[in-house]
Amino acid sequence: MTSITLDRVSVTLGRFTALSEVCAVIPSGQQTVVIGPNGAGKSTLVQTILGQLPHQGSLTFDPPNPRFGYVPQRLDFDRHMPLLVSEYLAMGLSLRPLWLGLGSGVKRRVYDALAQVKASDLADKPMGSISGGETQRVLLAAAMMTKPDVLVLDEPATGVDINGEQLLCELLDELKSEHTIVMVSHDLPTARAHADWVICLNRRVVAQGSPKDIFKTKVLVATFGLHQGQSEAFY
Amino acid sequence: MELLNPLYALAGLFYEPSFMRRAQVALLMLTLTTSAVGVLVVNRRMAFFPDAIGHSIFAGVALALILNLGVQPTVLVMGLLLGLLITFLSRRGHLAPDTVIGLVFSGAVALGLALVSREPQATSGLSRFFLGDVLTVSDEQVMALVILVVISAISLFFLTNPLTLGSIGPKVGPGRDWPDYLFGAYLAVVVMIAVQAVGVLLVTALLVTPAATGRLLTVSFKGMFWTALACGVAAGQIGLFASFQPSLNTSVGATVVIVNVLIFGLAAIFRRIFPARG
Repeated sequence: MTSITLDRVSVTLGRFTALSEVCAVIPSGQQTVVIGPNGAGKSTLVQTILGQLPHQGSLTFDPPNPRFGYVPQRLDFDRHMPLLVSEYLAMGLSLRPLWLGLGSGVKRRVYDALAQVKASDLADKPMGSISGGETQRVLLAAAMMTKPDVLVLDEPATGVDINGEQLLCELLDELKSEHTIVMVSHDLPTARAHADWVICLNRRVVAQGSPKDIFKTKVLVATFGLHQGQSEAFY
Repeated sequence: MELLNPLYALAGLFYEPSFMRRAQVALLMLTLTTSAVGVLVVNRRMAFFPDAIGHSIFAGVALALILNLGVQPTVLVMGLLLGLLITFLSRRGHLAPDTVIGLVFSGAVALGLALVSREPQATSGLSRFFLGDVLTVSDEQVMALVILVVISAISLFFLTNPLTLGSIGPKVGPGRDWPDYLFGAYLAVVVMIAVQAVGVLLVTALLVTPAATGRLLTVSFKGMFWTALACGVAAGQIGLFASFQPSLNTSVGATVVIVNVLIFGLAAIFRRIFPARG
């Protein structure tokens, strides 16, 4: 399993400094949740880890060159495009074009991945007809099919109802024994309940540690700029 | 050209004149290609790409006359360069693809008009590209279309999944450029060849209408692809047959497009009565 170390990582987007000298450790085989206010650079951090943004400073993986699985906040696609869930998942596995149908090996892997995220019933549904929570589970299945060392999730529960969110958290709890998980979240109670390690980000790292250490009034006040009454509401 | 004899023999079951046999085989090859590639064009929202490339033919013909070059290779290279330019500008991400296509389209037409106004004899060379004429195709052109079908099958085999996945996401790691550039170049070649059969004005319909029909009738990618192929090929053959009837005696390209649109209309009525599942 892979650990990630960021040493004075800075990311500049045009003239805007999105991340400033971020120093953090993401431990292997645990679920790390990155929290912070809007504009704190959480998604920028995720994109940097995924190798999509140039950065200054040192970003190291141990062992090096890990495989990534990525679950975005939402999937922006043409919902009227004729595409079954099984076809969507198969595209990333094989070059065999969709118009020839799914090969038996690919089909088996697709159904296994859907079973792993408790979504076997979605295989023959059109992508445009499934709900937000179902889409997130399909994206999780797609990410898992690459057999990732590091699973990165960018606010995966946005727009998902409470049952869908609960199911997603349970799935991640099951997966963290086999993968290093990095998740961006706005949902502090969920982060508190499911994270093993928390990084508080506001363009720089304000604090990092176990949920027990992080979910204290003074840390939340420093990260989010909350007043005492607001931060106590999270207990 | 002996390779074409079995195809001509098959076409001979339907038509006696040799020009009709050539036209039938040419239309079969062309509609196989355009209907298949049209699925990716429609799903990637590139419906106006063929228009932009097709209209660059004005500039290509005028340039060929001014520089004393062969018309066919010049328009092909012109289309290829514009296809790559549209892909390059779209991938930079500063402008939406429809804006990029609009810009290149306007630029290509303006350049063509400017050159034609300088070189008035180019106007006569343009007319056959304006309307196209599948009834005048030569054996060499039919052979080129057969080769295009083979190239298309290979291209679509390797490009379908990367391009479809690329248009949906999510992206992990730095994006790969080569499928987009390859598709831009390939599509430009398809458009330039199709223009010679159905003309600049109708080339978009040949690519877009069968795919739109397939999209309306099916919920899977595989279903859309084969439905588009069946509708496109059927429209080509029905259109050719209808235009040959003395009572109609209409342009083949226009008749093929009208049949395509009629099939789409029937599909829309069918879908209205029997809504899609899911």
